[in-house]
Amino acid sequence: MLVVDLSSGRMRREEIPPEFLRAYLGGRGLGVRLLRGRHTLSPFDPAMPVVFAVGPLCGTPAPTSARIEVVSRSPLTGTVYDCSAGGRFAWRLRAAGLFAILVEGRSPRPVVLAVTSAGEELLPAEGLWTKGVVDTVGVLSDRGSVAAIGPAGENGVLFSSIMMGEGNAVGRGGLGAVLGKKNLKAITVDGDRTVPVADRDRFDRARADVLRLFRASPVIFGELGISEYGTPALVDLMRQRRMAPTENFRRTVFEDSSAYSGPAIRAAYGAKKEGCFGCPIRCKKRASDGHPLPEYETVSHFGALNGISDLHAIIRSNDACNDLGMDTISAAATLSAWGEARGRFPSPEEVGPLLHDIAHRRGEGDRLAQGSRRVAEALGKPGLSMSVKSLELPAYDPRGAYGMALAYVTSNRGGCHLRAYPISHEILRKPVASDRFSFSGKARMIKIAEDTNAAVDSLVACKFAFFGASLEEYAELLSGVTGEPHTPQGLKEIGERIYLTERYYNARNGFTRADDDLPARFFTEAGSSGEGIVVPPIDRARFGEELTKYYRIRGLRDDGSFPDDGFLERQP
Amino acid sequence: MRSLIRKYAGKLHRDRSIAQGRVGIAAQDDVMLSEGAPDLSRLAADVLSRLSCLGVVAASPSLPFAGFLLRRASAGACAIVPLDTETRTFLHDIPIVRREELAGDPARAVAALLSNRKGVIAEGVGIVASGPVTLEQAYIHYSSVFHAAFVKYLLDALQAGFVLPGEAEAFRAFRETFLRPPTAEGLSFRAGPLDDPEEVLSEIRAVGRYTVERGLVDSFFGNISCRVGETIFISQTAASLDELAGCIDPVPMDNRSTTGITASSELLAHRRIYEATGARAILHGHPKFAVAMSMLCEEKDCPVKDCWKDCPNVRMLGDIPVVAGEIGAGGLAVRVPPVIGGPGKAIVYGHGVFAIGRNGFEEAFRSMVDVENRCREEYFRRLDARARGEYSKGSSS
Ligand code: SF4
Ligand SMILES: [Zn+2]
Ligand SMILES: [Zn+2]
Repeated sequence: MLVVDLSSGRMRREEIPPEFLRAYLGGRGLGVRLLRGRHTLSPFDPAMPVVFAVGPLCGTPAPTSARIEVVSRSPLTGTVYDCSAGGRFAWRLRAAGLFAILVEGRSPRPVVLAVTSAGEELLPAEGLWTKGVVDTVGVLSDRGSVAAIGPAGENGVLFSSIMMGEGNAVGRGGLGAVLGKKNLKAITVDGDRTVPVADRDRFDRARADVLRLFRASPVIFGELGISEYGTPALVDLMRQRRMAPTENFRRTVFEDSSAYSGPAIRAAYGAKKEGCFGCPIRCKKRASDGHPLPEYETVSHFGALNGISDLHAIIRSNDACNDLGMDTISAAATLSAWGEARGRFPSPEEVGPLLHDIAHRRGEGDRLAQGSRRVAEALGKPGLSMSVKSLELPAYDPRGAYGMALAYVTSNRGGCHLRAYPISHEILRKPVASDRFSFSGKARMIKIAEDTNAAVDSLVACKFAFFGASLEEYAELLSGVTGEPHTPQGLKEIGERIYLTERYYNARNGFTRADDDLPARFFTEAGSSGEGIVVPPIDRARFGEELTKYYRIRGLRDDGSFPDDGFLERQP
Repeated sequence: MRSLIRKYAGKLHRDRSIAQGRVGIAAQDDVMLSEGAPDLSRLAADVLSRLSCLGVVAASPSLPFAGFLLRRASAGACAIVPLDTETRTFLHDIPIVRREELAGDPARAVAALLSNRKGVIAEGVGIVASGPVTLEQAYIHYSSVFHAAFVKYLLDALQAGFVLPGEAEAFRAFRETFLRPPTAEGLSFRAGPLDDPEEVLSEIRAVGRYTVERGLVDSFFGNISCRVGETIFISQTAASLDELAGCIDPVPMDNRSTTGITASSELLAHRRIYEATGARAILHGHPKFAVAMSMLCEEKDCPVKDCWKDCPNVRMLGDIPVVAGEIGAGGLAVRVPPVIGGPGKAIVYGHGVFAIGRNGFEEAFRSMVDVENRCREEYFRRLDARARGEYSKGSSS
């Protein structure tokens, strides 16, 4: 692990305690563990660390495993925050001989951290400051893989992201601003080390099992699946299921969504396949001219959520966010909440300039840079922020999937779909289907999925792999790499430890059951029913009952608090 | 939750995969619920309390095949490895746990194995299976293990004969009293071609149910579709063929919409069959004797190691072509369409049967029944020949 103190410029490589790796694997778990002791610092406190960590599968041919996790505390939500990103950065970091980088302190002037297997240095970056992500990456590209912030991160936009040079984002919680406050413009990594696999036969067998399951999964390799169309394959599906958030969640069907569906994007832009390093699924798509095409959440939120059906405008919004270093979901959702508050959603022509104003904190953009909760409160209409713990909800309406409704509020990083990812079974029927309009059994399903995904984020593997494979095969991969036996059950127990640690940090920062709640709209307004599908408001009493069950299953009190203060001390 | 427990217990009885009354099912929410035979439901609950799962099914199978496989396995073996595609793809192998290892704390021994696999065979108990995401999954995993053990036992008995005391008698009882030949008699089909979407949906639901009721597929597996103009109506992935209401996706032939991302993993095979044959209806099931017979290749010195996916040949069982190929994007979609047009049916190595109807489902259904009955006859012909000392060929690898 490389520890970088930006205040002094001192850097040292040190061993990660082996018991941390046993108890937390790597990635998200390791980052969360390394935050301990500083988890109550303000996100912008110079002493608050930002951890970049890969997992034990990174650098091996384990499918979808060249991913990095970035962990810190979010200035947008105030929660502990982690995000996983693909690309090549993770793999090159491992090739540089590192498992993690922890940056802390605050550099007196803008710098770039440049890491290779030969060593690391801090380079002056005054010349890069104020540059967009594309230019920054361009300047640094001969140094390997780049993770950089854009103007949004420099200017403290609360939903600024850290962009990977390949176009992948560490999005959502505003970790770009945390790096910005530290005056760290970018990190580059390169190296030539390889990662040994202890039991090659075992590993190869598990890998073949995983690939076979990928091929058997219609969501992954089906002719309409994400390998063909990327996540925008979901546009038509969410339209058909009547759960595509439209006009700030006032409706759940957007009649014109076919304008930006998977097939529409392919027809207009080509959609060349591209993947994170070593991933056979290759769900990322690029236009024929090479620039990255947006994900489902992005097209749906710059589309339906703002009532926009102009595909080119949507693509431009995505490009702008990527270059400015800003999260697309929160940016689009904040514009939408603001639009509803002022009585008019932004037109396609207005969106571009507004995004620049946000990144540069100019005019109305200064307010919008605070995210939808603060904007809605400032405008006296707090109910219009469609967020949980200040994190804007992505493009799955909770009235159309009750497990998702529950998972939005139990997510430790706020309104995010990926923590428990119940869309997998409620909508995509993987590995099996569950009844999306029922709460029955959902509390335990969500709890187990949260634990599972905490382990997945610590391995670090991609959630999409689990549309086909399961922890069974990934535990085998891990056993193959380490030579020590791992089981899915053991991994879920590690996941549980990680999850509870995060919740404990949040509790210490003042989060209570009152924060585990959805915007009132979902309990009082119906979605758009039709075509034989009825989308009623969520029954608040039933929702509360299932949430209480969830707490009990987690071993918490009915008010969501920990039964005692000793939780952290009992963890390795 | 309770109603779900009863639902799956009922399904296991109806599909005749458990011995009468010998099932216990546990499901866990914030509290543990279990029902069924007291010993089995207690075991199910004890196992479940040690796992991060939604449900566990513990049952004695209706046939002793899983138990025979366990006892026929070599002393050091800790798993059996059926070679059907289902197992290859989803189960990998099936751990076995012997009576001695179950002494003391059987739940612990079973849970230890289930912490890493979907189902186990426990000596003297039966099959125990877990559902990590839903209770239904525990039922599905039970069915998968039952199916895999059934097929493997048919093959092993044919190749190695009966070796344990009581085996021959049990097999005779299976043959003479348990087995019922599948038939299409008494079922009513709509005459095709079908054009009205409502009519199509209702026919698909009915035929899906027939396929399960007549034992041509276990509830959860198989798929079915009907082409109307430029639309394929096809069962969704992970749908039960006997519960297809609301689980049929309309997919445009030209992929102009991706709504069908939730369609069966065999969508591509169906589409290509429609393109290649002009059929109007397709039915796919996993009848057990057809699956077993498809794995009996008599080729000598064949260089192919993974026959089930790599065999390039079209083998004929009578007039029925047998081809290899993985599920989904893996190969069956390439090899089935060219061979199915003439005979109207084809078997996929170690996997199941595809049958087409040029007008409606009746032809497809009757074809599938016919394939299974003929495979059954051929199986027993070989078994009897073996008993008379005439049969010694064949390999299932
Ligand atoms: S599935 Fe997509 S996001 Fe996941 S690792 Fe592969 S290319 Fe990256
Ligand atoms: Zn600008
Ligand atoms: Zn099949």
